[in-house]
Amino acid sequence: MTKVNELMKENSGKQFEITRVINAPRELVFKVLTQAEHLVHWWGPKGFPMDVAKIDLRPGGMFHYCMKSPDGFEMWGRFVYEDIIAPERIVFVSSFSDAEGNITRAPMSEIWPLEVHNTMTLTEHEGKTTLTLRGGPINATAEERQLFEDSFANMQQGFGGTFDQLDTYLTTL
Amino acid sequence: MRRDVFQAIADPTRREILNMVAYKSLNVNSVAEHFDVSRTAIYKHMKILAECGLLEMKQKGRERYCEAHLEKLHEVSDWVEQYRKIWSQRLDNLEEYLQQLQTKNELHDKS
Repeated sequence: MTKVNELMKENSGKQFEITRVINAPRELVFKVLTQAEHLVHWWGPKGFPMDVAKIDLRPGGMFHYCMKSPDGFEMWGRFVYEDIIAPERIVFVSSFSDAEGNITRAPMSEIWPLEVHNTMTLTEHEGKTTLTLRGGPINATAEERQLFEDSFANMQQGFGGTFDQLDTYLTTL
Repeated sequence: MRRDVFQAIADPTRREILNMVAYKSLNVNSVAEHFDVSRTAIYKHMKILAECGLLEMKQKGRERYCEAHLEKLHEVSDWVEQYRKIWSQRLDNLEEYLQQLQTKNELHDKS
């Protein structure tokens, strides 16, 4: 097994969790998380204008957005909602995408999972909202694994392309 | 000066050097010959890569070889860390926006 494959294997099982107590009522937090008119004001890093191409808040619906770096690089992403219980829970699958909404590899890493399953929960206590986001890669299907392996074969010929995009991406972090 | 992996691979020449030696170590001179810039400039890049732990210079007989250490790319490829950074910053922005929104609403309510 190549080193790159080993890295991939190690990363593929990792889970992510972040919690934040927000000084706002839950109804408002939910609104700001799910409405385009609000999302554009905070979603992207500062200096990266964000466009909501589509937000269809229902199971199976898609949130499709674009962030533009100051040098004009466009980065698209999408969520596909799985379950929505307003205002307490949003379950969604996030991916990087192209302008048409098709899933793409992350611009900065071949090892980033194609699809991440996320569960966001909001609980309210004394006017403050605790937001918890848990995420983990979706188990790769045989096709996805093949895709992984193919892209690693390409990587072995050169890390160049990935690094070029990594540069651009890092400026967005 | 602190060197990290991100800094190391931010430069196209250094990425090219890493590409060349990623899967087979090469003689330092033959790497340098591949580039149009001076040998000194290439050695400088190699030194930076070495300081970041991405490259190792090994003496074999009379020749010096470069060997890549891709494990260090963990820092770049660890998606959980990157994901956390993105969301952490995003939630900072969210909090700030909600703060503004609520201050505005309070003003509204009073007027």
